Amino acid sequence: MSHAEVWVVAAAAVFGIGLYSLLIAAHLLRQLIAIKVMGSAIFLVLVVAAGPIDGALDGLPKALVLTGIVIAISAIAFALALLVRLAEVTGSTSLEDDADDDR
Amino acid sequence: MNLLIDVLIAIGLVVLAWQALVGGSLFRGIVMFIVFGLTMALAWARLGSPDLAMAEAAIGAGVTGALLMIAYWRLRALGASRPTPRSRLRARLALGVGVLSSVLVAMIGLAAVEAIGPGGEAGQALAAALPATGLGNPITGVLVIFRNLDTLLEVAVLLAAYVASRAALGDDKAALPLPPAQDAPLVGALVAVLAPLTVLVAIYLLKAGSQLPGGAFQAGAVLAAGGVLLMLAGRLHPAPLCGLGLRIALVAGTVVFSGVGIIMLALGQPLLAVPGTWAVYLIETAMMVSIGATLVLLFAGSAGLSGKALR
Amino acid sequence: MSVLEWLAAALLAAGAFFFLAGTVGLLRFPDALARLHALTKADNVGLLLICSGLAVLGGSVRVTGLLLLVWLLAMLASTVSAHLIAGRALADDDTGDPLDEGADERARSEGGT
Repeated sequence: MSHAEVWVVAAAAVFGIGLYSLLIAAHLLRQLIAIKVMGSAIFLVLVVAAGPIDGALDGLPKALVLTGIVIAISAIAFALALLVRLAEVTGSTSLEDDADDDR
Repeated sequence: MNLLIDVLIAIGLVVLAWQALVGGSLFRGIVMFIVFGLTMALAWARLGSPDLAMAEAAIGAGVTGALLMIAYWRLRALGASRPTPRSRLRARLALGVGVLSSVLVAMIGLAAVEAIGPGGEAGQALAAALPATGLGNPITGVLVIFRNLDTLLEVAVLLAAYVASRAALGDDKAALPLPPAQDAPLVGALVAVLAPLTVLVAIYLLKAGSQLPGGAFQAGAVLAAGGVLLMLAGRLHPAPLCGLGLRIALVAGTVVFSGVGIIMLALGQPLLAVPGTWAVYLIETAMMVSIGATLVLLFAGSAGLSGKALR
Repeated sequence: MSVLEWLAAALLAAGAFFFLAGTVGLLRFPDALARLHALTKADNVGLLLICSGLAVLGGSVRVTGLLLLVWLLAMLASTVSAHLIAGRALADDDTGDPLDEGADERARSEGGT
């Protein structure tokens, strides 16, 4: 396996774990971490797929990913504010009705 | 040997993602997520992008980790209930979906690696155009000159996230709980050393960013880390009102960036043209201040900050 | 390899050994204070050895000064964080896994399922 293939396979595994956790986690905080981890996996694929690992010339995908990291934290910060507000108002940390989940 | 290091880091990423996301307590998950972020930084360094490594360590692991921790603490302080676990059937289905999505990402990624091959055309065009800008760091070149509309919108998105958070959290009379400040004598001494140092490092990163790895985002995140430290040590407190200086700091990035661009338009240049290296520094400084202030306020969960004297 | 490179390699290997010892201690020792003991002592020495090895390889005063700064800052931060963790562990009489503490508190504050 080449370097690029190693990273792509690892990123794919991380993405799968993230999606799995997003689907099974009940706590919204955990789901947020899952989304962030999935994002990191995609960033990895973007940079690796874009070009030479040794030459390190191609700044374009890296600038793109740098933008993505900042956008990710903006989204997470807003989501966390919504989550804290949700807990303040309803006392719950999940979007689903507990009664629904028991069935 | 090189491949072995890459394989070890890659395996570490997968294991840490599992540790952060599946099983265990939520607190443990957050800690593992921070370690995952730092390992991502190692991966970026291995992939030849120290810029991304710094951004990932400072923003992806550091500030995101601090935001997750403070949200966890607040949820606990609010006494929020713990949701019931999902059903077994749902877990099986999720496992299938997870594995399938994993295979899909791997196929797309491997196909892309094969299709594009070494060196994209855009990368070569960028390398050819960069010397004319006087910048040595291609990433700064892309962010501030070639694709600066994206960067301007990115700073605007961060500002919008802050405004939206304020709207979501509502009136600030009952400020959100912060963990009690640590009274240990060593903490004050550490903060007294680290707080000025964060400013120094931020300014260095900003200046270095034009030629070497670094730039406004990394510098802003370092500034924010200094602010969070001050807050945890009890030197900086959430305040119900946003002072004038803080308001200026919040919008500085957006205003200066778009201001320079509009002035250039009025002078007959294309929209958002950057007149020279001094303008790059001006824009990046404003962005750094805005990013730092916004991230600290997002951590504080308040409209403003007050720096009360030592207790 | 020159003499300097051998020296650097020896320093780096010794540093790696101390990190290994500290990590084994972190994983194997029974309570928070013993783990801190393993982690802070071994890692500070390990980092010093790694920094010395890199300084030998770097071969300039500037690089050596930067590495010294790195070591001093890491020492300062690990001193204070170890102090905080130890104080918290003593206050809680917590002799278990520091990462499990969150689980206990969460179970207490958030109630059962």
